Amino acid sequence: MPVQPILRYPHPMLKKLCNRVEKIDPGIHDLVQDLVDTMHEGPGSVGVAAPQIGVTLRVCVVDVSKNRHGKENNHGLLCMINPEITSRSGSATMREGCMSVPDYTGDVDRATDISLQFTLPDGTFREMTASGFEAVAIQHEMDHLDGVLFLDRVISIKTGLFRRKSY
Amino acid sequence: MTQQPEILHYAVSVVGKDRPGIVAAITEGLFNLGCNIADSSCTMLGGEFAMILIVSLKRPFSKSRLIEELKPVCDRIGMSLGVRTLHPDEVARQETDGEICMISVYGADQPGIVYRVTRELAARNINITDLNTKLVGTAEEPVYILMLEVALPDGESPEGVEKTLAALKKELNVEIGVRVITPVAF
Repeated sequence: MPVQPILRYPHPMLKKLCNRVEKIDPGIHDLVQDLVDTMHEGPGSVGVAAPQIGVTLRVCVVDVSKNRHGKENNHGLLCMINPEITSRSGSATMREGCMSVPDYTGDVDRATDISLQFTLPDGTFREMTASGFEAVAIQHEMDHLDGVLFLDRVISIKTGLFRRKSY
Repeated sequence: MTQQPEILHYAVSVVGKDRPGIVAAITEGLFNLGCNIADSSCTMLGGEFAMILIVSLKRPFSKSRLIEELKPVCDRIGMSLGVRTLHPDEVARQETDGEICMISVYGADQPGIVYRVTRELAARNINITDLNTKLVGTAEEPVYILMLEVALPDGESPEGVEKTLAALKKELNVEIGVRVITPVAF
């Protein structure tokens, strides 16, 4: 499936509350594949959410296994339909950037440990816990499903001065 | 003949005693001129407020026109004004391939902490992108805190920086820590 262009703010899709997926049909399978392909296309990208490619459905993919922050602690490729976080604990600050908001980074506080549930593309319901960088990545991508950008969560006025060299 | 750029850039600095309304007054002047504020950073330090702004405007324009508009505003609210014309190559976005690090230095106050630390960094071609210092503690036991954000050049590692500063840490009897804060990309 084709790699999709990543929408950039101020594209209105990025601020929309996404709809739940009611039925996993071939269109959803295509969407998941597009998300995975798009994520792999961006060097260093660890996740993409459906609204970033113009689909306002609650679907996102995360894979931190190839990232230096996540390679020791991850669940590999996660394709999540209707993900929900059921508990969160711990807190850590990380300087985040986003493919949809290029050239800007900011410090964001996220939970370090989360429990979540979601449906897999094959229809299986899954519950799991995630921690560390993977938990941060999941929270960042899930925010997109609520129309929330990391800009809405920046806690420090100090921002990175340099353009990010890769996504 | 070199081609003149259509958009002119200036670095504007404004410093003076803090009070409400400084940013509004300065940006009103810029707005009246039709200037864009590209990047800016403004902060309060002690009782002073300092603004640094990169402003841009289409030709025809001049530095003297900018000063003519802003100087009376600054005079009215007691601020000093600096304006520097930026050359096109200065305007180009800086990029770094190296890690961004936070360096924290703290310990008993003594002369030369900032100089000694930054001299070591300069010698290794490490660029400081942000720096702030604060004197805390008590009159009997003043503690100096220096926080630096730096961009490492290619080939330089955070461990290398820590090693470089190890001797200084011992000599000045201060704590020095280096942490990678390179943004993570989602």
